[in-house]
Amino acid sequence: MSPEKMTFRTLLIDDNEAFLTLAMHLLKANPRLEIVGRGYTGFDAVRMSEALKPDLILMDLSMPGMGGLQATRLIKAQDAPPIIFIASHHNDAEHREHSARAGADGFLSKQDFDTTIDALLNEINTEMAHG
Amino acid sequence: MAESRVLVLDADEERAQSLRSLLQFIDYAPVVQDRCGHLAASGAKPADWVAVIVGKVLDESALNGFVDWLKRDHLHPPLLVLSEQLGNAAARFDLHESACINLDFPLKYAQLNELLKRAGLTRMEREVLDTVASKGPTGNSSAVRRVRRMVEQVASFDTTVLITGESGTGKEVVARAIHAQSRRKDKPFVAVNCGAIPSELLESELFGHEKGAFTGAITARKGRFELADGGTLFLDEIGDMSLPMQVKILRALQERSFERVGGMKSQRCDVRVIAATHRNLEDAIVKGSFREDLYYRLNVFPIETPPMRERLEDLPLLIEDIIGQLERASRGSVRLSPETVNVLRAYHWPGNVRELSNLVERLAVLHPGATVRPQDLPSRYKPAGFEATEPLAETSIEQAFERSERPILSEMRVMDLLGQSKPDPVLPPAGVDLKDHIEHIEASLIKQALAQSGGVVAHAAKLLNTRRTTLVEKLRKYGLQREDAETSCANEA
Repeated sequence: MSPEKMTFRTLLIDDNEAFLTLAMHLLKANPRLEIVGRGYTGFDAVRMSEALKPDLILMDLSMPGMGGLQATRLIKAQDAPPIIFIASHHNDAEHREHSARAGADGFLSKQDFDTTIDALLNEINTEMAHG
Repeated sequence: MAESRVLVLDADEERAQSLRSLLQFIDYAPVVQDRCGHLAASGAKPADWVAVIVGKVLDESALNGFVDWLKRDHLHPPLLVLSEQLGNAAARFDLHESACINLDFPLKYAQLNELLKRAGLTRMEREVLDTVASKGPTGNSSAVRRVRRMVEQVASFDTTVLITGESGTGKEVVARAIHAQSRRKDKPFVAVNCGAIPSELLESELFGHEKGAFTGAITARKGRFELADGGTLFLDEIGDMSLPMQVKILRALQERSFERVGGMKSQRCDVRVIAATHRNLEDAIVKGSFREDLYYRLNVFPIETPPMRERLEDLPLLIEDIIGQLERASRGSVRLSPETVNVLRAYHWPGNVRELSNLVERLAVLHPGATVRPQDLPSRYKPAGFEATEPLAETSIEQAFERSERPILSEMRVMDLLGQSKPDPVLPPAGVDLKDHIEHIEASLIKQALAQSGGVVAHAAKLLNTRRTTLVEKLRKYGLQREDAETSCANEA
């Protein structure tokens, strides 16, 4: 299957229920994404990542208890870790750098994540294809 | 910990509700309280909130006690003060002005948003400093000794250094070590990850911008070159930089000057540049994606960080070092049995030291305080054909995390899990405040019940064998109420 046609089994993690509902609504129209679960904390992300083995996690940066950066580090140590995109309300260089440092594969702004996620997936596919 | 909760202390109910709505709109989770005397005893930690907004205060002495409690944590959230009632709050609470800021009233969205963003970033920065070693790479292998020797050779000169090596090999650790051993050590070390910043933002990030330079530039802002003045600028992942930006960096390096975006005035810069990349820049030059002149300008003193597979004898020291960092940052602890370390020696470590660090942190969360055996490792670290005997009981991720932070409670819970009787609590020699202690335990159990029930209050109440209305009251008391918990509660009623 060509990377453009691959379906990503996707897990959504955010402590903001309204954002999760919106994201479910907006992303279900994207044929490349199949939403397989949703969680509310970094703890949920780590547990559900092991249980559901998603291809992609769209993860909030700031959450109570365990935030998205720590959850990203822990998930990247599991077997066959998924691609992780951090989504944040704050779209600036410093937040992007912290996400990259934690090992996230990409960063999305919550203002336009639904329209930019495809381009980011294509970038990841290209990088994977080139080793 | 990237925290989304903001504590709002305001006895002005109408304003507190407006704040709640505004904070939710900008993606924070508000915890609104009209008093604060009980918070310190409720099992809360200062780090539970990214910021504390202080409005009308009913009991000033309780607020003084609360702020004293906050200050005991060096990562405490800043106070954002809305009320004139407190006068000069920074002086009153003996807080640095960056940790106690007066908010304009009526509230300005941009100001509040910016202050909360800064508060979050400050916490993330401190966490990075807690975990990045400045003394240099750990280990005694010949590869690491060679890197350390090179750091010592180059540190005292202002020579530009190019650090190459695979991802996760600790290039920033080497850069920080060079800075720490240089005459610039008391000046800033400013890092920028050129690969993580979109090319259209990178110029303003590096060189700053003047007010009005582009849409959204509502104030002038310093770039990283200016912020690093007198110190060291670490340009990480420089191989990911676009060709137009490479031209601008080359000019800044050659002429030691730059202009802010939208500015006409050239500014001198006194920075030592250390660049790093995981890419092969010579290949990139052949492909036309990296400028040859910039490569020679950067590659004055090259240092290559070795991959893990070439320094496996450093594994025990690295593990010890990583556990020490986790312990110092209160992020848990764990031990690895000698057999486990031996198994890890056979792994090929494509993610290098960063992968090891992530693995140890994961083990510290999943098996807090335990000694990890080979069978407890994720399967990719075990050799082919490795047959696991009984692995360590892996508590749930929340339980494991809670356990690492609250050892007394966690021991009780582990005993519960094993179906054994609860141990008698031990009275410390100095005694306890019984009411505070009981409240601490109660709040902790409520938090765990809520986590276990996905925030649904009715389910949490069943777990605690209490009435739902009683639990709702207790949530209010401890400031644990969550919107989703309330919604679930309303839906089920």
